[in-house]
Amino acid sequence: MTTVVIAPMLVVLVTAVLTLLFGSYPRLRTGLALAGTAGYALAVALLAWTVVLAPGAPGIATYQVGGHPAPFGITLVADGLSAFMLAMVATVGLASAIFSTRYVHNIGYDRRTFYNPLFHVLLLGVTGAFLTGDLFNLFVWFEVMLMASYVFVAYYGGPQHTRAAFRYVALNLVASAVFLLAVGGLYATTGTLNMADLAQRLADPAAYGIDPVPVVGLFGLLLSVFALKAGLVPFQFWIPSAYRAAPPPITALLAGATKKVGIYAIIRLSFTVFAGADVPISLSVPGTDLGIAGASPLAFVGPVLFAMAAASIVVGGVGAIGRPSIEGVFAYSSIGQVGFIALPVALAAAATSEQFRRLAVLAALVYALNHALAKALLFLAAGAVRSATGTIAFDDLGGLAERAPALSIAVFVGSLALVGMPPLSGFFGKFLVFEAAIRAEAGGALVVLLAGSLLTIAYATRVWNRGFWGAPSTAVTDARMDRVQVAAVVALAAGVLAVGIGFDPVYEFAEVAAEAALDAEGYAEAVDPGGEAA
Amino acid sequence: MTAIVLAATVGALFALGTFLMLRRDLVRVVWGLALVGQAANLYLLTAGEIAPATHDAVPVLAGHGEVPETADPLVQALVLTAIVIGFGMTAFALVLSYRVYEEHGTLDLAEIGGREVSEGRERTRSDGGDRR
Amino acid sequence: MRTTARVVVPIVLVVALSLLLEGHNLPGGGFIAGVLTTTAFALLYLAFGLDFLERGVLGREVESGKAPSRDRVVVAYRRLFAAGLAIAVGSALVPLFFGVPFLSQTYVVLEGVPIYGHVELASAVVFDLGVYCVVVGGLLTILSAVGAE
Repeated sequence: MTTVVIAPMLVVLVTAVLTLLFGSYPRLRTGLALAGTAGYALAVALLAWTVVLAPGAPGIATYQVGGHPAPFGITLVADGLSAFMLAMVATVGLASAIFSTRYVHNIGYDRRTFYNPLFHVLLLGVTGAFLTGDLFNLFVWFEVMLMASYVFVAYYGGPQHTRAAFRYVALNLVASAVFLLAVGGLYATTGTLNMADLAQRLADPAAYGIDPVPVVGLFGLLLSVFALKAGLVPFQFWIPSAYRAAPPPITALLAGATKKVGIYAIIRLSFTVFAGADVPISLSVPGTDLGIAGASPLAFVGPVLFAMAAASIVVGGVGAIGRPSIEGVFAYSSIGQVGFIALPVALAAAATSEQFRRLAVLAALVYALNHALAKALLFLAAGAVRSATGTIAFDDLGGLAERAPALSIAVFVGSLALVGMPPLSGFFGKFLVFEAAIRAEAGGALVVLLAGSLLTIAYATRVWNRGFWGAPSTAVTDARMDRVQVAAVVALAAGVLAVGIGFDPVYEFAEVAAEAALDAEGYAEAVDPGGEAA
Repeated sequence: MTAIVLAATVGALFALGTFLMLRRDLVRVVWGLALVGQAANLYLLTAGEIAPATHDAVPVLAGHGEVPETADPLVQALVLTAIVIGFGMTAFALVLSYRVYEEHGTLDLAEIGGREVSEGRERTRSDGGDRR
Repeated sequence: MRTTARVVVPIVLVVALSLLLEGHNLPGGGFIAGVLTTTAFALLYLAFGLDFLERGVLGREVESGKAPSRDRVVVAYRRLFAAGLAIAVGSALVPLFFGVPFLSQTYVVLEGVPIYGHVELASAVVFDLGVYCVVVGGLLTILSAVGAE
């Protein structure tokens, strides 16, 4: 029964190997890649259903790789939060894989053969990061994911791609070193790296003979690493160049999946591991009343993450307005949108009431889902425009609405979802985020959210006006849209619409996920690091 | 004593790595990244301590007489993994810097950055010129 | 240089092989054995040039100046990489069919084998072999592709 936990990982792993083995048969390779991604989606659905959604489901399931018991072996844990994230990634991955079948064939031979295996390695890294219950293993999955994405950023091999890749690689190498530092420090301090074990030990440091003070700083290091993966200000500057350099289906995956790994890691570690930590904090700026005080590292995460999220919303929004190309606008926009996801997380960290925390995490999750779907849609649409017209610069575009109505309607839906129009998924996301801000009585948050929303409207309108409205330009008149590519984009648009209209089940799923994120005790019990139950 | 030597080494590696990372030469930057990675590995190694000689620490040897003092095997396994990953990453970064040299004819970061700015401007200008 | 290579390369290869075979319960393993093997190949490349393997050992004709990634020996390295990955993943998947977790390992002890008498066969060797192939294939692909430029 618990094999279902590891099933998604096994499916992508086997697919990656098979597509590598049969690399020289293009049809077989493409078929395998598509079947593998569909299988992945099925495995995720099965996991979500048997572990979380089915009536009487346990809500959490664990898997001990190699049969070594926790905390000695590597534990994989699937709970509501992991399942929610996986479902999101599977949806984006499927659309991106369908899009890829029509995107890969016009790239050189060597690169073509490595596209599908790397695509699945990227998925593997993301899946592993969502499922692992061990901090060092999380590091390993991060690296797996990053290795694949490095290659994709350098994929086209032009000077600007190499520069973007070098920047991306250099930053992430530093981040990896910092991650290792934090892991080493946590191990030296607490004597364990298993997340459940870590949560238990930190909740009662005296019983385990731990001095928990360094944990706050180490968690700060971890937070900066995850913020880099999520692309929060001040770690955002790799995003625009990397997103423009990678092939569009991969950019969709980077924005829809890799970024969410950063958010997931922040949520998981903040609420499942460090929320219960018994570390009194009191910091103050000398000579003023400003200061932070609280009983757990979250007291410190709240304000810091809040500042980062607010800055992201502003920087992303302002940056997006002036970009000269579709992809540029969306790349900056995704910096701002991550701010919208991180803001409720920060509010939840600062809050003390359990009920409010759940609401805020729920808001973050719903918004993350909305962003993953909408942004994947928009990046894929930009890719479709690029392969049809050969350009994505606004100056060469215009009148796409006339030439490609289906694609334009899909982009329209995606933009409205970003803006937050009912009845699309974005409306509920924005609504919940605003509700969290109002309930927290955070006036500053409201101002930032409002400003961010206005900026979103401004750049979405600009994309529409310059790219899709008006008389067709020469490039657009000669364009031939690829049906499969458009179909993938339209399918995602239908997804955005479906999430908005049939919001109830999604809301329930997200609620289960938020509850799982906050349920540190249930998590520890399921993993059972001490082996008391055995 | 070992602790002081190790701490000094970790500190020195970090200092040197950071210094190299801030150079203008791309290859030096890669060396800097590699050094910082190694410093983190060494730090990870120091996180494990030498366990006292008890049967709890080495359950395999229960019933086999005297148990020697043991070093923590977990950190060694972690560092091994981290070294392998770091090795691959450094190789990739070196190949990438070779590509940068091939495409730009220089490894000076200031020049490469200048190229990026001017290319960006050119692109916008030529796009403007093509406008009908 | 060439004389040294002639002496050293066989020794390195044998050491690599022993590291590979005893890696499951002694220091060693697939990764380090693979790196050592690659070092032996790198020594050959340094001493005899990049075309030596195809021309001198395999007796094939090589057009110089061809794109290195199309070389037959590089294609073989890539195959080795893919095959190694398949072996490693396959060996990790086998336990699932016996109802034990992914990546589980086991061993059998054979008694009365001629000459050796007592031989332990560990399933981890298969995984190590996969890792070995991945490391050798991957590193040699990089080495020959980058080295040719």
